[in-house]
Amino acid sequence: MNLYSPATSKRASFAAFPALFLVLVLATAAFTQQRVSRHYPAGKNVRIELKNLSGTITVETWARDEIRITATMEAPAVHFNPRQTDAGLVVDIVGDNRDRRDVGDVNFKIQVPSRSSVDLETRSGQISVSNIQGDLVRAHVWTSGDITLSGVNAARVFASNTTGNIFFDGEFASGGTYEFKSGQGTITLRLPANCGFRLVATGPAKKISMGDFWNPGMKLLGEGRRITGDVGDGRASVTVTNYQGDIKFLRR
Amino acid sequence: MNCEQYQDVLSDFIDGSLAPEDHNSVAAHLSVCGDCAAARNDVGAIVGFYHEHRGEYDAVPNERALWLRISNMIEMESPDRSRTAIPANAGWWFRLMNRSWQLSFPQLAAAAVAIIIVVSIFTVVGLRGLNFNGSGVRTAGLTLPSTDGAVKERFRQQQQVIAYWNERVELNKARWNPQMRETFDKNMSVIDTAVNDSMRQLTQNPHDEVSEEILNAALNDKVELLREFAAL
Repeated sequence: MNLYSPATSKRASFAAFPALFLVLVLATAAFTQQRVSRHYPAGKNVRIELKNLSGTITVETWARDEIRITATMEAPAVHFNPRQTDAGLVVDIVGDNRDRRDVGDVNFKIQVPSRSSVDLETRSGQISVSNIQGDLVRAHVWTSGDITLSGVNAARVFASNTTGNIFFDGEFASGGTYEFKSGQGTITLRLPANCGFRLVATGPAKKISMGDFWNPGMKLLGEGRRITGDVGDGRASVTVTNYQGDIKFLRR
Repeated sequence: MNCEQYQDVLSDFIDGSLAPEDHNSVAAHLSVCGDCAAARNDVGAIVGFYHEHRGEYDAVPNERALWLRISNMIEMESPDRSRTAIPANAGWWFRLMNRSWQLSFPQLAAAAVAIIIVVSIFTVVGLRGLNFNGSGVRTAGLTLPSTDGAVKERFRQQQQVIAYWNERVELNKARWNPQMRETFDKNMSVIDTAVNDSMRQLTQNPHDEVSEEILNAALNDKVELLREFAAL
């Protein structure tokens, strides 16, 4: 009995074409993306400065006294020239590609010692920083992009974007300065119950939620568009500004 | 005691003001010490002379002339005295500045209390005007007048800066890819909404400090965003 008929063979051949096409497209995309990885020796208190045009930036910590920076570039001919300085490492995609047009996304994954400081900036794209215990964490998205700072315990933290959410899960050091600012998006601060800070929070009326951190000593100003007051010992300075979105305080 | 110490107390010995045992001790020393005995005689003669002529003195030849000389010498040594010579036709300010101010302690204390009260009243009135009348806004350590006109003027100035950078952005915008143009426009509209909301609030309440600060922040953000994208 012949089970293999010519009609069945034709159907199988036609079905294989889209699959083959998909494989070719994916392979081409993978081939055109360029991935570069570099290592740099570093002390425990190194500083990383990164200026990107667009793409994601992810910073993680590890238990080595070195920096590993991995860049995945959409356009293969992007100039990527990290410079070592006395303080640490500077990566300036904006400056290095000033005369180029379609630079495209450059996605960074950076691994650093936990005591590092990071100063990150991009015109668009997400920024994620975790477990940094150094002096400074700065994350600035000029336009759209979420910012996630988790496990951060730095003396100075600045996070700002125009559209996109900002999420901070960490601790406020006594005497530290913390500023969060967004144009449109939710700013969420998740903090331990025993933290102490002096707050100035400004946002749309009825969109500031202090949760368990509310206390009777706090003042509502400007018809509820601003809350000021001390939480705990009030030794850290916290400024939160949101033009249109929510501001939320959560207890860990 | 030695001779020098005995001679130091000779005057008291002659006056009889020493204690009996001291008096006896000095008398015993004088009986055996010729030098001290001679000194006792000299001092005794001087004391005796003054006791005899107590209350008598020679009159000064010209007492008034003497006092004038003393008065002149005091005036010459005191520079402030020259100010007291006020011309008859001098103005009230000149007279006030050249007047000799000699205040007793109660007068001085009363003047100090009066100054404290006046300064306190002015301070309280000034602070009330600042905090409760909404006539001022502290922005980055600078107190700005918060009148409607001042806000409008600042807004007008910022708009000029924005117009300059906007022009430069528009020149470069054609080179951007569609995605970047869309992202830029979307984010600029978010900031514009914040600016317009603040302006509307300020129109309703010209002394709303929160709206004024948001307006300033949003305008600054707009300028920064334009400047950043003008370089692309």
